[in-house]
Amino acid sequence: MPDHLVPAAPAPAGPAPDHRLEARGLTLAYEARTVAEGLDLRIPDGRVTVIVGPNACGKSTLLRALGRLLKPVRGAVLLDGAELARIPTKRIAQRIGLLPQSPTAPEGISVADLVSRGRQPHQSWWQQWSAEDEEAVAEALERTSTAELAERSVDELSGGQRQRAWIAMALAQGTDILLLDEPTTFLDIAHQVEVLDLVRRLNVERGRTVVAVLHDLNQAARYADHLVAMRDGRIVAQGAPGEVVTAELVREVFGLDSVVVPDPVTGTPLVVPGSPWAVKADA
Amino acid sequence: MSSVALRGYTVLRAGRASFLLHRRSAFVATGLLLALAVTVVASLCLGESTVSPAEVVKVVLGQPSAHQLVVGEFRLPRVVVGLLVGTALGLAGALIQTVARNPLASPDVVGVSWGATATVVGLMAYGVVGSTGQVPYAAVAGGLVAGLLVYALAWRRGLHAQRFVLIGIGISVALSSLTSVFLTKGDGFQAQAAKVWMTGSLNGSGYDQAGWLARVLLAAVPVALWAARAQRSISFDDTTAVGLGLRLDRIRLGMALLGIVLASCAAGAAGPVDFVALMAPQIALRLARSAQIPLLCSALTGALVVVLADLLARRLLAPTELPVGVVTGLVGAPYLMWLLVRSRRGGS
Repeated sequence: MPDHLVPAAPAPAGPAPDHRLEARGLTLAYEARTVAEGLDLRIPDGRVTVIVGPNACGKSTLLRALGRLLKPVRGAVLLDGAELARIPTKRIAQRIGLLPQSPTAPEGISVADLVSRGRQPHQSWWQQWSAEDEEAVAEALERTSTAELAERSVDELSGGQRQRAWIAMALAQGTDILLLDEPTTFLDIAHQVEVLDLVRRLNVERGRTVVAVLHDLNQAARYADHLVAMRDGRIVAQGAPGEVVTAELVREVFGLDSVVVPDPVTGTPLVVPGSPWAVKADA
Repeated sequence: MSSVALRGYTVLRAGRASFLLHRRSAFVATGLLLALAVTVVASLCLGESTVSPAEVVKVVLGQPSAHQLVVGEFRLPRVVVGLLVGTALGLAGALIQTVARNPLASPDVVGVSWGATATVVGLMAYGVVGSTGQVPYAAVAGGLVAGLLVYALAWRRGLHAQRFVLIGIGISVALSSLTSVFLTKGDGFQAQAAKVWMTGSLNGSGYDQAGWLARVLLAAVPVALWAARAQRSISFDDTTAVGLGLRLDRIRLGMALLGIVLASCAAGAAGPVDFVALMAPQIALRLARSAQIPLLCSALTGALVVVLADLLARRLLAPTELPVGVVTGLVGAPYLMWLLVRSRRGGS
């Protein structure tokens, strides 16, 4: 990976082949409450980056800032070298897709209709539907295996199906970068795996850059190429999960004693909580 | 082109331009237009003297007729104002319900109607304005001020939809109390006239009102078309909407502003006609079965409800005429409830 770009003022559309999305000196706050301070983060292109950390560590806030939903108090998020706050929101929508934690759709909308609305950033008042739109929607439905659900109402889907439909919509948007805020939160374990596998496939097969906030450290270690650990609004560590996830880090970030062993299936780090309470509950 | 993605829609193409048409909404709009035409003709035919539909059509087309006076001078202006008021209210309701993401939101709820009422009643009861002439201006001004005040108070790092409704209810209650004070404290005779205005009436409506209301509606068309497209993403949660490239704050402000202006103007032309703006969008939504409130269908439903209600208001207890505002609830509410009961979600 290249060295930091010279930190002189936001570079105008400079070539940033490896890190199209980048945060520099980011301070984030809700009203008067500062949530994160002085964050520097570069999102590797074409990789899955997962942000982890305890509740209220600022991970979702960081994701919101990366998706221009929260204006930084200081610092900037750069997309292709330009400050996010200066790019028209529709242009951003052509490059960054967002999936919030619990998105809501209008009542009674069909899956196909939902997914087709992902094409909005590519349409205009007088060009409301093109052959490209048609293609992108068909492909998104197929890739997420939601084609057979296309005519069903989103309300009547199961949690896993619904999440696939939303991912299909984000996919139809055709952006190179996808930001996912805890995409597995309300799902049972089988559906969690299904959704994460889908995200991984999109990343590998379509070269999408993915940034996800995940709750589960082990899932993060399994699916991330690049892991970012946060605590109290700061980035504590980042890098490949195999290098980053250690018992010390888990203690530092989560305040939890644990044993880190290789995952028997993937070989990635597996965090086993060390305290008896967890053993009793789990074994 | 048959496509999975666009089931229920038709793509209209002209060169490089393409437009998405929700088919069922288009059918419903056509149906509403036909029903409206029939109601308008019926409204012009019926009265103290009955005129044949053929004669009515003659008058409307400007051909000489023996019924020119009754149909052309008495009934037609009133029907035209009813049409325009209903259209404005239906559209205003659809816009405000979309912004507030709440089917209970309407100009009646977010302060506009009571703003207009309190202003007009206050000025009338103290003899500042007479019963005609300046009343529309007072109503428009009052409605605008109250609506904008509610919008501004609900603003906190962007518009908070729930605050919008709650603050609207609060302001409305305060304004309705103020109206009561004006009615009891003001000059007795004037207060009586104000009370009549308050029920919303098309009695004595003429082309004065129709003229400026028509111009406001015409000016609203481009804004409404722009809003209709934004509706495709505004009906999601805020994050998703912004993620799709929507300039949420600007679009909400535009839609709310247009809704407030239209509702104020409607109140200026006919007084506060209750309930139309609340139910028309909900009726239209259920008829069109679209994912978001259909603007055109809402406007047409509003017009139909008001014209039909006014016909009933004139004929139900003839020769006594009821104010249209009394009847709109009687016409629309049962129909809305029937739709709600019938289309219980997931029950089909």
